Amino acid sequence: MVSQPTTISRAAEIVRISRIFDFLLLVPILLVIIGTYHLSMILTVGDWDFWLDWKDRQWWPIVTPLMGITFPAAIQYGLWKHLRLPIGATVCTVCLLLGMAITRWFAYHLWTNYPINLVLPATLIPGALLLDFVLLTSRSFFVTAILGGMLFGAVFYPANWAIFAPFHQPVEYNSSLMTLADVSGYSYIRPGVPEYLRIIERGVLRTYDTYATPLSAFCAAVLAVPLYGLWSYIGKLFSTTRFIDKF
Amino acid sequence: MSTQASEIKANLSANPNQYWYLRDGYKYGLALLAVCAMYVGIRLYQGAYAMDTGLDSTMPIFDVYWRRLFYIEITLEVIFAIAVASYLWLTRDKQMQNLSTREEITRYFTFIMWGGVYGMAVYWAGSYFGEQDNAWHQAAVRDTPFTPNHIVVFYLGFPLYTILGMGLWLYARTRLPLYVDKISVPLTLAVVGPFMLLPSVGYNEWGHTFWFREELFASPVHYGFVISVWFALALEGTILQIIARMSVLLDKFALENQ
Repeated sequence: MVSQPTTISRAAEIVRISRIFDFLLLVPILLVIIGTYHLSMILTVGDWDFWLDWKDRQWWPIVTPLMGITFPAAIQYGLWKHLRLPIGATVCTVCLLLGMAITRWFAYHLWTNYPINLVLPATLIPGALLLDFVLLTSRSFFVTAILGGMLFGAVFYPANWAIFAPFHQPVEYNSSLMTLADVSGYSYIRPGVPEYLRIIERGVLRTYDTYATPLSAFCAAVLAVPLYGLWSYIGKLFSTTRFIDKF
Repeated sequence: MSTQASEIKANLSANPNQYWYLRDGYKYGLALLAVCAMYVGIRLYQGAYAMDTGLDSTMPIFDVYWRRLFYIEITLEVIFAIAVASYLWLTRDKQMQNLSTREEITRYFTFIMWGGVYGMAVYWAGSYFGEQDNAWHQAAVRDTPFTPNHIVVFYLGFPLYTILGMGLWLYARTRLPLYVDKISVPLTLAVVGPFMLLPSVGYNEWGHTFWFREELFASPVHYGFVISVWFALALEGTILQIIARMSVLLDKFALENQ
């Protein structure tokens, strides 16, 4: 004989259903974010993030945060606006780093035998934490765009400095002055990217001496503000719950 | 989290019907495992044979190890697509108006599980094999659009998640009342957008007929993929639709069982 459930046990069951459903929802959400954000990043930032010797002071600190703010801004909009979860940007960047780290090890290192130092991924997590923090404390997309967007762009280079600084040490190699990163790049031939294609520190930037890096970081900070606004709006468009009656 | 998992496991063994809404849970686990096992197996196959047999597409051995894989993939994909679409359509619910709340809740769980398998396929195609393609192009000069990694990412990875996405859309259309009479804009965008990566292969490979050696990954010949993949953001709207409906269903479930 089956006993009838009490109101309390029924309420507990509903809570449990809700919790299990939430956990199950995480699986497609996280996997789709990894798959799509990662693909978007490798096809727009790509080479600057793949290779140690592409991580320069002119392009890498700008291209990476500007393309990196796309999914965090869009997902952050949906999660905060509709679910009041201030974790959208951090979730995206953690997913991205996870996807990149797996591929760098199993594809570049174990399949095509590049040393892991040559293909270390950069991290966007510190900027994303600040972006979420600004949204949580200000509760305003406008303030987040101005302050959070600027922080996201500006902290990218300093946040990665500890990882990549050792590879920017100067060395004399074949009577030329270069960095350890350059030597690594020359030592491991990549037929797909001949040297004339490497887009780093072009023009007369070197005359700016040590100002090059902060200038790039500030430029990224300024440009990240309108991009945050644009991608929040795109997040708003894609958060639609509309139905249409006919094709 | 582990406590909750062990509690669920203990309760499940004590009373199997207590988790009635996880009716398709074991199929979900098997499907996730199958997708992962297939891709891990293929990655091991690439590791074992790509460098020895996949560098020169004019060699007869290339046909044996790679073109044959391509033909097997395409054949199985056509069969799988027809099987999924036929199964979902032929077993569709024709008595949707009599659907109980319990059954609808269970179907939402199954729907999300299907989404999980779709997500797993998106991960392997978009993240792992998508970036692994660059690793291959940097180590080998391409002489064909059917490289050992393209055969996996373009002609297995993209079609597989497209078929699963189509299945996701059809499942909603044939089993969930919310989606039966109307077309969900976000669900359609979330499925059609990533599907557009497949035709973008044409634009990409056409571009590479000009620049077969210079393999800048951030180059405009890849932007078709980028724009298509942005549409996956419509998953946000889909999740919101599902959460809103589940909220209504759980209230209804509570009232029915008072």
